[in-house]
Amino acid sequence: MEEPRIGVYICWCGTNIAKMVDVEAVSAEVGKLPHVVLAKNYKYMCSDPGQELIVKDIHGHQLNRVVVAACSPRIHELTFRKAVEKAGINPYLFEMANIREQDSWVHTDRTEATSKAIDLVVAAIRRVQFHEPLQKRSVNVDPATLIIGGGISGMVAALEIANAGKKVYLIEKTGRLGGHVIKFDLTFPHLSSARQMIRPILQRVENHPNIDVFLNTEIRDVTGYIGNFKTTIRINETESTELRFGNIIAAVGLKPFDPSKIEEYGYGKFPDVITSMEFEEMLGTGQVLTKYGKEPRNIAIIHCVGSRNKKYHEYCSRTCCMVALKFVHQIRASLPSANIFEIYADMRAYGKGHEEFYALTTHKQIIFLMYDQQERLPVISQADRNDNCNMVIRMNEKLSGESIEVPVDMVILMVNMEAHENVKEVVHAIGVSLCGNQFFIEKHPKLDPVATTTGGVYIVGTCQGPKDIPDSVSQARAAAARILATIATGSVAVEVTTASTNEKLCCGCQTCVKVCPYSAISYNEEKRSSEVNEVLCKGCGTCGSACPAGAITSKHFTDRQILAEIEGIMSMSFKGV
Amino acid sequence: MSYRPTIVAFLCNWCAYTGADLAGTSRLRYAPNIRIIRVMCSGRIEPTFILKAFQQGADGVLICGCHPGDCHYQEGNYKCLRRFKLIQKYVDQMGIEKDRLQLEWISASEGRQFAELVNNMTKTLLILGPSKIKSSLEVEHLKQ
Repeated sequence: MEEPRIGVYICWCGTNIAKMVDVEAVSAEVGKLPHVVLAKNYKYMCSDPGQELIVKDIHGHQLNRVVVAACSPRIHELTFRKAVEKAGINPYLFEMANIREQDSWVHTDRTEATSKAIDLVVAAIRRVQFHEPLQKRSVNVDPATLIIGGGISGMVAALEIANAGKKVYLIEKTGRLGGHVIKFDLTFPHLSSARQMIRPILQRVENHPNIDVFLNTEIRDVTGYIGNFKTTIRINETESTELRFGNIIAAVGLKPFDPSKIEEYGYGKFPDVITSMEFEEMLGTGQVLTKYGKEPRNIAIIHCVGSRNKKYHEYCSRTCCMVALKFVHQIRASLPSANIFEIYADMRAYGKGHEEFYALTTHKQIIFLMYDQQERLPVISQADRNDNCNMVIRMNEKLSGESIEVPVDMVILMVNMEAHENVKEVVHAIGVSLCGNQFFIEKHPKLDPVATTTGGVYIVGTCQGPKDIPDSVSQARAAAARILATIATGSVAVEVTTASTNEKLCCGCQTCVKVCPYSAISYNEEKRSSEVNEVLCKGCGTCGSACPAGAITSKHFTDRQILAEIEGIMSMSFKGV
Repeated sequence: MSYRPTIVAFLCNWCAYTGADLAGTSRLRYAPNIRIIRVMCSGRIEPTFILKAFQQGADGVLICGCHPGDCHYQEGNYKCLRRFKLIQKYVDQMGIEKDRLQLEWISASEGRQFAELVNNMTKTLLILGPSKIKSSLEVEHLKQ
């Protein structure tokens, strides 16, 4: 092995790291270590000048190994691998130390955080000395795409890909396309018809020669990897056709919150307490009527039902405020003299045209009443017989500071958007993770909100988090563009950190064959040795730790590399007594 | 110098390491005496790694993987669990208290749980005091 010549770079990440970690001290300390040719610190290593610095040093100082201490490798490992590759070094002769997410952001003592950073960088320096160059492998990309979910996001993505001449399999769990949007009457803020908008999309999807629509269909299991997935779809709960595809889009959407969980609102008990989704359907019939067929004189719209409350969901559903204002326009159009009460917690009008829409709505002779979401929810009860109304809402009006009673004949609950409970099946099938609110986790919250950490799997629409129609559509088109780009390239780089066996050391016990979850290892009777099929291997390393003979190498996570990392961590300040 | 327990942690890339990253992005605070090593799957964690960490002077070793049923590689965490039970018995016999070796499941969304876990394990190790394994190994070495 040639002598390691290591370049070490400590990132400030602006003040994110530099505020808590003495980057100067770290680079000075690790600069003294054997094989470290240079140790520098720089404001933003991931920026173009930061990457350029590495490239220049590799040329100028004949570096053959690089360590960057910065954010989590889950964020920028690929960025830096590309940078070292640009300078002619194998991208795997690089290692990253996580001194932001797992150091500067979680500790408050600068001395402790600095010594932790030193340990992590030393560990990376020790480890990188044992890195071996790995050769990139690429596989052909099957030009078909599987889209799970036939709502607006799934359909728009399907059209985008199909219009580019590529095959799409669009599977929908229910018996019809259109998702939630097809149930809406008007959209905000332009009050244009949702149906007129979605019907042509639906027709184009149904009639497109490149789109195969499967209704009442579910997936259980997807096998393969980016470019080459396959699954057997189940139509009407019976096994059906096998599909092959190169990329996947999950567009499984969400579902409205069930307000019967909130006792105060009496949903299910009072027939005229209805959800925003139920009111949409009512608007579709063209009439606003109570359960007894009367025109309501007093209508209340309660915001944040199940949202922004730790008891239910802490997050904001983003769309309900505007939908509530949209309802005002629709109610006013059919009931010009009704009293309308907007009972809100905070009015959120963040989007394009939303604030203007809010201002416009305030001219519709409505009464805005504010309640404190964190303190006490409004309580709905039956009105007395003598009252001139159906129900009474008792609430603390926050702005006036008074306890008031609001007479109502109909209450519309603006229900939160929450994840489907059965989403876990899809999650397991396609190998993505869920956040605490059960939404799909994107690869990067800012820079890559449509991809996931599983290659070839994209997430669009509300399964990634509550969003309105334009945001869902943008995400759908973005995912389609990403997929079309890989299809156009024709091939895609795949994981090379797989396992490999050493025939000379293999004792033939076949433990590895049994532990491999992907059936990627088989036993070659002739050679009396196990063999790894690198296309099937996903690099989990389970076989490597099971092998009693030490005959299996988990590439890039070898015993020697990890042991060196442990030694490095324990070698400096991080010692026992 | 006062005793400050040292923890070497092995975290799987998909759930636990992401959960630890989330603790960072959420700016949660936890004890600074932990050093994390990333592996792709908890199924990759070999007994050798654990013993090496103890041998090098770690007061505690923490292993975190995906919750049962959530493994990115289908079932690596189950294999990890089985090995863990065996190795825990083994370290106990070597004179390393078994609470010094812990296994917990941390999902990608459990940043808070991860921070609490580190703090709790630190407390446990403070009660146990420093691990004697490194110094006893050094004495053995001198005899030779």
